[in-house]
Amino acid sequence: MSDHTSSQFDSEMEAIRSGVLAMGGLVEQQFLRAIRFLQDDEQEPGAIDAVGAGEQQINQFQVQIDQQCAQVIARRQPAAVDLRMILTVTKVVNDLERIGDEVKKVAYKSAQGRGVERLSRVRHYEVARVANAALAMLRQALNAFARLDVEAAAEIVDEDETIDAGFAAILRQLISYMMEDPRTISGALDLVFVAKSIERIGDHTKNIAEAVVQVVKGKDVRHATAEQIRAEVAEP
Amino acid sequence: MKDAIRAGLPMPAAVAAAMLIVWAIAGSGWALAVLAGGALAIVAYHLVNIQRLTDWARGPLDADVPQGTGAWSDAFAALHRRARTRNAYQRDLRLVIERFRGAAEAMPDGVVALDDGNRIKWANPRAVEQLGLDLAKDRNQPIVNMVRTPEFLAYMESGRFGASILMRAPANHDRILSVQLVPFAVAEKLLLSRDVTEVEAVATMRRDFIANVSHELKTPLTVISGFVETLQDLDLDARQRDRFLQLMREQAASMQRLVQDLLTLSALESEHNPLAEETFAIVPLLLQVSADAKGLSHGAHAIELDVRDAAIVTGGRDELGSAFSNLVSNAVRYTPAGGRITLGWRIGPDGRGIFSVTDTGIGIGPEHLPRLTERFYRVDRSRSRATGGTGLGLAIVKHVLLRHQADLDIASEPGKGSTFSVRLPAARVRQGPDTGEILPAAAGESAAAGPVP
Repeated sequence: MSDHTSSQFDSEMEAIRSGVLAMGGLVEQQFLRAIRFLQDDEQEPGAIDAVGAGEQQINQFQVQIDQQCAQVIARRQPAAVDLRMILTVTKVVNDLERIGDEVKKVAYKSAQGRGVERLSRVRHYEVARVANAALAMLRQALNAFARLDVEAAAEIVDEDETIDAGFAAILRQLISYMMEDPRTISGALDLVFVAKSIERIGDHTKNIAEAVVQVVKGKDVRHATAEQIRAEVAEP
Repeated sequence: MKDAIRAGLPMPAAVAAAMLIVWAIAGSGWALAVLAGGALAIVAYHLVNIQRLTDWARGPLDADVPQGTGAWSDAFAALHRRARTRNAYQRDLRLVIERFRGAAEAMPDGVVALDDGNRIKWANPRAVEQLGLDLAKDRNQPIVNMVRTPEFLAYMESGRFGASILMRAPANHDRILSVQLVPFAVAEKLLLSRDVTEVEAVATMRRDFIANVSHELKTPLTVISGFVETLQDLDLDARQRDRFLQLMREQAASMQRLVQDLLTLSALESEHNPLAEETFAIVPLLLQVSADAKGLSHGAHAIELDVRDAAIVTGGRDELGSAFSNLVSNAVRYTPAGGRITLGWRIGPDGRGIFSVTDTGIGIGPEHLPRLTERFYRVDRSRSRATGGTGLGLAIVKHVLLRHQADLDIASEPGKGSTFSVRLPAARVRQGPDTGEILPAAAGESAAAGPVP
C-alpha cells in the first residue's frame, strides 16, 4: 500500500481506499448543504432535492465498496495490514452511510420548519456553529484516513468532546426558551433533533478516527479513552 | 596521448640509464637488480596513483581531484578541468531549477504537480493553503483522496480539461476556487487553482442588483398601471378619481426617488466625476440638515442639534450634505413618533471631524450591521418600503464617505436605538472661525448629547 508498485492487488486496494474517500467527499458536501439550510432562511429552489439525491448516491457507494471488499477477500485472501485495511474500510463506509442519514435529517428538519423567530439565533449561530465544528472534524478524520495519520486521528477523538459539550449547551439554552415561552416548544424540539443528529455525526466521525488508529496500530481502540488512544499512538 | 607518453617516458628512461651505468661499473648482475628495482618502483608509482584515482571516483561528487606527478599530473589535471566544468554546469542547472521553483511558489495561483497516477508530487504554498494539503504527508497521495469534492472527482474522471470548474475550497467552504487541470509531458498534469470568491461575489451582486432594481420599479409600476386601467374602464365619481390619482402620484414619486438615487449612485461611482474640493463652514450645512429633518418629521420627534466645535471642512458640500441627510432621514423613519433624534458634530482629539446621528428608534440587530450598506439590503422589507425608503440611502452614504476617505461607524441595539457616526479624516477638517452666533438655540437643551464611541 505504501510502495506504489503496479501490481493488480495494490491497485485494487488503492481503488477501494479512493472509493471510501470519494464517498466521504460526497458526505462532506451533503453536510455543507445541510448547514446551509440551518444558516440561511432563503434557499435556492431544488436544494432539498439535491440532498435527497446525494443520500441515494451515498447508499450506492456503500453497496459498491462493500462488494469490492468482499471480492478482494474472496479472491486474494489478504493478510495482516491489508486484511485490517479491508475490515476497517467496511466499518468506515458504514459510519459514513450513517452520517449521510443524519445529515439528511438535519437538512430536512431545517428545511421544513423555519421555526419560531425567537429561536432563529440559536439555530443560526449555536447549532450552525456546532455543525461547522462537526464538519471540520469529519474533514480531518477523512484526511487522517487518507494519510493514515494516527496523531491527527487521536486529536479528532478529543474533538468529539467539544461537539458533545456544544450539544449540551444547545440543549440547556433550548430548555430555558421552552420554559420561558411554551409557544417555542415545537420549534425547539425540532432543533433538539437537529442538534442530536449533529452529535451523532460527531460520534460516527470519532469511529472513523479510531478505525485509522486500528489500521495502523493493529489494536482495537473503540472503547478506549482519549488518553489511552494517545498513549497507543505514541507507542512506536 | 602523445603528451601522456612524453610525460611517462622520463621514468623508464631514467631506470634504463641507471641500469646501463651500473652495468658498465658493476656488471650485469647488479644491472638486473637495478632494472628489477626500477620496474617495481614504476609499478608501485602507478598503483598508488590508480588507487588515488579510484578513491576519488568512489568519494563524494564534489571532492577535489587528487594532485599527481609525472604522467599522472596531466591526467588528473584534465579530470580536474572536466569536474570543474561539470560542477559549474550543475550549479547553473540547479539555479535554473531553483528560480523556476521560486517562480512557481511566488505565483498568485495554486499549482500542484501530479504524476501519471494523479498523485501529488509537488505543490506551491498557495495550493497547499487553498486545497488544505500537507506536503510532508501528502506526497504521492492521489489528489482525489485529499480534494474529495464530488464536482472535482467528476472533472478528474471526465478527462475533459479544456475548461475550469468552480468548487468550494476544501479547507474553507466560504472560498470559491476555480480549478483547472493542464496535462503536460506524457501523462503528468498540473493542477491550477485560483481563488475567485470576490469575482463570484461581484457577479452575484450585479445579478442581484439588476433583479432588485427591476423588482423595486415593477411594484409601483404595477400599481400605477392598475389604476390607469381602472380609470379608463370604470366611470368613477370625482372623489374616487382624486383618491386614485393621489395614490398614483405617490407611487410615481417613489419611482422617481429610486431613479434619482440610482443616478446619484452611478454619478458617485463614475470616474469622470471627480470630487469637488470646496472649502465650507460646517455649521450652516448642519443647520440645513437639521431643518430638513424637522420638515420630514412633521414634529413627531424631538430633533436636536449639538454642535461642539465650529469647523471648516474641505470636500463636496452637496455630497456630504446628502450623506448627512440620508442618515438623518433614516433616523426619522425608523424612530417611532415621540422619539428623540440628536445630530452631533465635534472635532475629536485626533483632529477628525465627527458627525453623529443618535436616535431612540427600533435599532438594528448585530447580524445585519455588516451588510447594512449593501444596495437594497433591508432589515425589514415591509417596513422600509412603507416609510418610503429606496434601499439605496446607506449605499449612497458609503460611496460619499469613500470619496472623502471618511468612514462610517454604526453602534446599535435592537429596541434601544442606533448611533451612526461619520468620521472625516483630520486632513479635511480644521477648527473654524468661532461662529457662535449661528449655534442654534436647541444646542442648550441637549446637554447629554454626543454619545459618539
